[in-house]
Amino acid sequence: MQNDLHKEIELLQQLSDGDSAAIKSIYKQHYKSIVGWILKNGGDEQDAADICQEAVVILYEKSKNEDFRLTCKVNTYLYAVTKNLWYKRSQQERPVYSGSDDELEETIVSNYEEDINAHKERELYYDQLESALEQLGQPCSSLLRSFYYDNKSMQDIAAEHGYTNADNAKTQKYKCLSRLKKLFYGTKVK
Amino acid sequence: MSTERNDIWKLAEAYLNGKLSGADINELDNRRLSDPEFASEFQDSINLLSAIKSSAEQKQVRTELKAANIELKQESGKGIKGKVVSLMHNHWRTATIAAAIALLTSLTTFWMVQHNNNKIASQYSLLKRDIEKYKRSQNKIIKDIKEQNAGPASSARYSGTGFALSNNGYLVTNYHVIEGADSIYIQSKDGAYHKAHTISFNAAEDVVILKVETDNFKFSNTTDIPYSIASDKKKLGTHVYTLGFPQDEIVYNEGYISSKNGYSGDSTQYRLEITAGPGQSGAPVLDSRGNIIGIITGKETEGEAVTFAVSSTSIIELLNNLPQENKFRLPTSGRLGRMSREHQIEQLEQFTCSIKVYKQ
Repeated sequence: MQNDLHKEIELLQQLSDGDSAAIKSIYKQHYKSIVGWILKNGGDEQDAADICQEAVVILYEKSKNEDFRLTCKVNTYLYAVTKNLWYKRSQQERPVYSGSDDELEETIVSNYEEDINAHKERELYYDQLESALEQLGQPCSSLLRSFYYDNKSMQDIAAEHGYTNADNAKTQKYKCLSRLKKLFYGTKVK
Repeated sequence: MSTERNDIWKLAEAYLNGKLSGADINELDNRRLSDPEFASEFQDSINLLSAIKSSAEQKQVRTELKAANIELKQESGKGIKGKVVSLMHNHWRTATIAAAIALLTSLTTFWMVQHNNNKIASQYSLLKRDIEKYKRSQNKIIKDIKEQNAGPASSARYSGTGFALSNNGYLVTNYHVIEGADSIYIQSKDGAYHKAHTISFNAAEDVVILKVETDNFKFSNTTDIPYSIASDKKKLGTHVYTLGFPQDEIVYNEGYISSKNGYSGDSTQYRLEITAGPGQSGAPVLDSRGNIIGIITGKETEGEAVTFAVSSTSIIELLNNLPQENKFRLPTSGRLGRMSREHQIEQLEQFTCSIKVYKQ
């Protein structure tokens, strides 16, 4: 038992580090355990894949949180999040909570809604960032994307964008960031 | 100028990557303290960089998840049933993981109010407040599940302030607070949530009358509404005060009427010299005798203390236009006029509530 616990702590630690094997293993297990339920509730395999992805992303975000504590079985948590996402998406009423003598279950029920809402806000925030990047135009947009999203080195970026050296590309990057900052914060009422 | 900008980014990058020495950090902290403009520039820079970073990391995770889905399809296509190792048997009572990045926790502070009311120019910000997400520790004792069900179900979004028009659950707030709402809840002084619905509104004047749905609801069991609603506009220079919910606790502010007309000369409003923050939209404005003279509605983004209030005459007009079966009598008590300010506030608190609005 102790061993299993350690294994899962490790797995979640790996998830928060973005470890490929851990992400895939959690996704696959979870997909297999929920696909039947989604099919039964009027969805198809694509729905199951979407919802499953969203649930794992939520778990990932939770695992990045410094206060992260999961006091329930990870599978139970994912299952609760998945069901809720599905009810929301398919516009179904959530069945009246029937009560449970499992204290842990109750903990989950009362927490995952917050996690989902936090997740939604975060997605909205990332969307705003994305649209600011769109508005930025070229070459700034692709320069920043290459550096931050594709992890390219400044040398490679300099070569691709025709800057004489990495330092020049870096100066350009800072200029782009300043413009992005204006666009990003300019979209909000202060 | 542009080199100075670059320096900020270099500094922000070094800061986030933990590459600043102790002395550097001291210097940075001192500069942030002594130069607020720099401090806010620097904070914005850090927020942006960490947003980009976390969004990049999340994209990576999504890429992996898509790959996992493809692998899964291939596996089942070959007819190989992967052995499902259930996680069910593992126990998760106290597993703790400390992640390295603390910056995401400040995300909620980015959530500024967004509205698309074209009538209101950009200089004018409404005081609706996005609800802070509480990071509730899962170790904390969770409230009774029944209570949970009685409360708002999802998508907490905005909050404002409202105040009672009758003890049995009629209340008033700004229309913009509840605009587009899926559901509206008020949180009364004892912390309980009560669902409310719209009775009538005037969008142009930014007033709405709501009614609490809970059976036998009363704002106060011990006393009736202690104020009255002023039926004429008050004079320039009148001292006023307000109670609202820019945070989870009620907050008191005072000031004076600085112009009889509001934003861009709007005669249904007052211009006030009073501090008000997000979340105080819909808060009552009272004169020293305890008459409600208006409702806080917005402020100028440029000046800190320039606030606008809908005149109480708009409430009266809205009530007069109600269909006969919905009509009710407005409070006419002058009881507050005889009390000290502290005592007035004590009385008022029972009839002022936070309004939570949920939107999909």
